[in-house]
Amino acid sequence: MSNLLILPILIFLCMIQVVAISRLPLLHGKADLILLVIIAWGLQEKARNAWILALLCGLLISFVTASPFWSIILPYVTVAWLARHLHSRIWQSPLLAMILITFIGTLFQHFLMILGLIFEDITINFSDIFGSITLPNLILNMILAVLVFVLVKDIAGWVYPVEIHE
Amino acid sequence: MKALPSRSLQIIIGILIVVGIVLLALAGILRPILGFVMDPFVAVQRWLSDQVMTVIDFFTLPRDVSNLLQRNAELENEVSRLQSQVIQLQEQVSEAEVLYSLLDFARARPESQYVAAAVIGRDPSPFLHYIIIDHGSDDGIRHGMPVVTQQGLVGRVDAVTASAARVQLITDPSSVVNIRMQTIKREAQLVGSITGELYLEMIPQDVVVNIGEILLTSGIGGNYPADLLVGQVISTRKKENELFQTALVQPIVDFTTLRAVLVVTSFKIIDIEPLVPRQTP
Repeated sequence: MSNLLILPILIFLCMIQVVAISRLPLLHGKADLILLVIIAWGLQEKARNAWILALLCGLLISFVTASPFWSIILPYVTVAWLARHLHSRIWQSPLLAMILITFIGTLFQHFLMILGLIFEDITINFSDIFGSITLPNLILNMILAVLVFVLVKDIAGWVYPVEIHE
Repeated sequence: MKALPSRSLQIIIGILIVVGIVLLALAGILRPILGFVMDPFVAVQRWLSDQVMTVIDFFTLPRDVSNLLQRNAELENEVSRLQSQVIQLQEQVSEAEVLYSLLDFARARPESQYVAAAVIGRDPSPFLHYIIIDHGSDDGIRHGMPVVTQQGLVGRVDAVTASAARVQLITDPSSVVNIRMQTIKREAQLVGSITGELYLEMIPQDVVVNIGEILLTSGIGGNYPADLLVGQVISTRKKENELFQTALVQPIVDFTTLRAVLVVTSFKIIDIEPLVPRQTP
C-alpha cells in the first residue's frame, strides 16, 4: 500500500524537477530534487523499498532527458543502496549521512554524465564544468538536502505510522 | 371719522413692525444687531451639539468600528482577488504577445507551415540543453523538424511522443548548424557547448570576420531551412598554428526565457547519410 502511495508523489516530483527546478539554475548547475528525495527516503528507518523508488525515478527521468539512461539510473540506485547501507551504520546522525551521500551522489552522477558526453565525442573543458556546473550543483543540492530530509521524514512518518506497543 | 378699534390698530402696527424688521433684515441693516444677539445662542448650540454627538458616538462607535473592520476585510479580500486577477491577466497578455509575434513571423513566411507549441519543461541534466514542448506526433511533429521563434532559430526536434516533443537547442554541446555569414558570404559551423555558449568553427584563417557579423542558416546539410537568423559574432580567436579560426557568437534567441516556439512542419529533412563517403578498411 505504501508503494502505491509513493508512486503519485514520484510522478509529481519528476514534474517539479522538469518544470520548475530545471528552470532555476545557479550559473549552469541545477539541483537534483529526485536524487535528494531518494537519499532522504533511503535514510528512513522503515523505507526498505528505496531501490524500487530509485529505479522508478530513474526510468521516469530517463524518459524525459536526453542523457543516456544508465547515467541517470545508476547514480539513483547507487545512492539508494548507499543510504540504506549508511543508515544502518551511522543511524544516530541521519542528517550527516544525508549530506555525505548527497556530496558523493552528486559527484558520481556528474562523473557518469561526463562519461556519457565523452562517449558521444563531445569536447569537454573540465575546469569550466567544475566551476560552472558541478560546484553550483553541489551547493544547490547541499542547501536543499536539509529541507528535503525534513520533508521526507514527515512523509515517511505519514506513510509508516509509528506502532504503539501496549 | 370713526377711530379704528385699538385691537386692530395693534395688529396693524405689529404687522408693520414685523414687515419693517424683515425689510431692514433683508437690506442687511440689522446684521450687526442680529449677530450680537444670535452669536451667543449659536455658540451655546454648537457646544451642546458637540456634547450630544460625543454621547451618541460613545454608544454607536463600537458597532461602526466592527462594521468598518468587516468592510475593510472584505475590501482587502477584494483587492487580493483583483491583484491575482491582474497578475493572471498580465500573464495572459504576455503569452498573447508572444503568440502574436509568432503569428506575425508565420504570416511573414507563408511558404512554410508551422505548429505553435508552449515550452513545458527543460532537460534535468545540467550538461545538456533541451526543452520539452506540449505538442507531439498527433499534431504532425516529426523527428528532425526545425524549431524557431519570431527572433530566429531555436533548434530541432530530437524525440517525439504523441502529445509532447523534446527539442535540442542550438546551444546543446552535440548541436551543429551550418551557417552563412551575411556580409562576407562565407560559410562555417555553429556548435554549442556544455555551458551554453555558441562557437563558430571551421572559419578559414584568411577570412576577416567582423564583430557584429550577422549569422544565418545556410541550409547546407539539409537539417535546417536556409536564411534563418541565428545570432551575431561578438569576438574572434585566431591562432597561427591552427588551421581554422573560431568566433564566439551571441544567439539572437534568449533561451532562458523561451515560452513558446514554432515547429516548421513543412520542412523536409534531406538525409545525406548515403552520400557521405565511407572509409574502407
